[in-house]
Amino acid sequence: MKPRLGEWLLLTGFLGITSTLLLAFLWAPSVSLDAFESPAAQRLFYWHVPSAWAAFIAFGALFLGSAGWMFKRSERMWRLHVAGSEAGLATGLMTVWSGCVWGAAEWGTPWDWSDVRLNTFGLLTLLAVYLVLGRNSQPDGIETRDTFAGFGLYGFVLVPFTYIATRIWAIRHPGPVVGTGDEGSINGDMGLVLFLGALSFTALIMGHILTSMRITKCEQRIFQVQQVLDKEVL
Amino acid sequence: MANPLLDVDSITVRRGMSTVLDNLSIHVERGETVALLGRNGSGKSTLLEACARLLPIESGSIHHDKVSVVRPDGARSVSPVVVGVTLQKNGAMGSETVQEHLESAMSAAGATTDLLPFLEGFNLSHRRSDAMAQLSQGQARKVAVLAGLLPAFVASTPALVLLDEPSTGLDTNARAQLIEWMEQLRSSGHGLLVSTHDQEVLDACTDAFEIQGDSKRLETDSTTPPNHTKMVSTTPCKKEQGGTFGVRHQLRTQAWLTHNGVAGLLTLGLLVVLGDVNAALSSTQSLGLVLAPAMAIGLSGEAMVNLGREERTHDWRRAVGLSTPHSSMLPLLLGSIFTAMASQAIVGEAPINHVMLGGLLSIGVAHSMRYLQHSVDRLARPNAVFVGLLTPVMLLPYALLIDWLG
Repeated sequence: MKPRLGEWLLLTGFLGITSTLLLAFLWAPSVSLDAFESPAAQRLFYWHVPSAWAAFIAFGALFLGSAGWMFKRSERMWRLHVAGSEAGLATGLMTVWSGCVWGAAEWGTPWDWSDVRLNTFGLLTLLAVYLVLGRNSQPDGIETRDTFAGFGLYGFVLVPFTYIATRIWAIRHPGPVVGTGDEGSINGDMGLVLFLGALSFTALIMGHILTSMRITKCEQRIFQVQQVLDKEVL
Repeated sequence: MANPLLDVDSITVRRGMSTVLDNLSIHVERGETVALLGRNGSGKSTLLEACARLLPIESGSIHHDKVSVVRPDGARSVSPVVVGVTLQKNGAMGSETVQEHLESAMSAAGATTDLLPFLEGFNLSHRRSDAMAQLSQGQARKVAVLAGLLPAFVASTPALVLLDEPSTGLDTNARAQLIEWMEQLRSSGHGLLVSTHDQEVLDACTDAFEIQGDSKRLETDSTTPPNHTKMVSTTPCKKEQGGTFGVRHQLRTQAWLTHNGVAGLLTLGLLVVLGDVNAALSSTQSLGLVLAPAMAIGLSGEAMVNLGREERTHDWRRAVGLSTPHSSMLPLLLGSIFTAMASQAIVGEAPINHVMLGGLLSIGVAHSMRYLQHSVDRLARPNAVFVGLLTPVMLLPYALLIDWLG
């Protein structure tokens, strides 16, 4: 069967991420001991930041899909909700896990309950876990879709909150390193690896979303065919 | 001419993956008993539940006495008429007594009456103080049917009665009594919508409506609607509050202990096991530990939510206009007690401000959890969803509160 766009994007994303990690650990310049407690752990930055970026894309898809289902009863938007929640789960966990490892090395603690950005992002990831597990425990239907799309809409309130948190409340989690002007910007080579990582994760998450939507569509088609068979048997 | 008691206009209702009702219209006038006919799965129960404001509609409208009660945008309003409901499930928790359940039904109409004639009519007078769980299926069904009829008997204005298969499980005498009561209500000016496969019940109806393909009214006994007359002497009463009901059942079933109390107890036990650690802690950390049992009590949620899913008790209460049960001030009391114990164990004293804070924390978190738990009520398998996954949403405010207070 000929690979489709989603599958090509997935493959591209995987290759790009692999390249990013290789560059991150073997080529990217090291940071100084003055700035970081654990320069070696800092290299997780090239995974952590792009995965957080991809998670925001996924949560955005989750929101769009949830809104599209709630207000338009669109089947395609429901498939986007499903894809967004699964992608958000994957990338959210990647971000949280990598952040915990880095935090343990850099801060001496994997988590900080007083940091707003950490906790709102953690809540978003937990929401994605809830949506995926919850949806899998229920038969598909309007009740299931309405309930979980509702959660998807409310949860999205956390996304801009999380993003703004570092610009207003930066407590322990470092502030943004891109888009802040000269101060706080990163070295050219580091920026290049980061950019590659961001592109790779974007390709991965778009591929994931497209492929997931296709799978959900196939599942819905199977259900319709089963209903036709049920009627024929009767 | 008076407005119809029930006016369903071109509604479309979906359940699961199917459209069960498509562009369906029906109305029930005062003094009518309309039978709903159709094969299994045709949508009779769906129509009744939509009329009882339990299901959302995709399009159309539902009015009770000209007041819109359900709209496609999801808005639902309180019905201006008294509504009596008997669902396919009995709508009563196992720990409710027969008398309590029937009194709840009557309180929804704002009046009470002597239950003895009704209980004797269904041969239940000797079981009036028994819990629903102790009854046979047939007896429990009789109670559910009575709970659907009583609001109309005590109502001071024409009521709408929605009955889903009321004769199922009833013996011959009980069925005859049911039909007699239905006729009494109809002739007193109330309107009834009854889903039934029972020929005797069907014969007692003035109209029949078939839900199948082109839904249509089959036959009508055209009569002048009777004026409303009161059939029994009544005493006004207040609507039963969800908190009153909830606390009564929490105490009766010890759910406050098994659900919330154990969480507080275990947390307190863990703290005690830590030993004398207060000297090594900052004031913020001490406060966090002192309030931990109260937080655990709140996070374990509302026991009445799961109890109320028995026999669709929550749905029945919503349909007749009663509030869903909850534990009211119990978490405040539990939280205060456990905070006092934790404070004594960790700090060596129990300042009143800590005790009050613990109580407030417990009640705030518990009632927030209640809303989370109810958010999955529409799902086919609400108990299969682990709402607890979302409880960490309470931890951040808790941490910030401790930080601020410390």
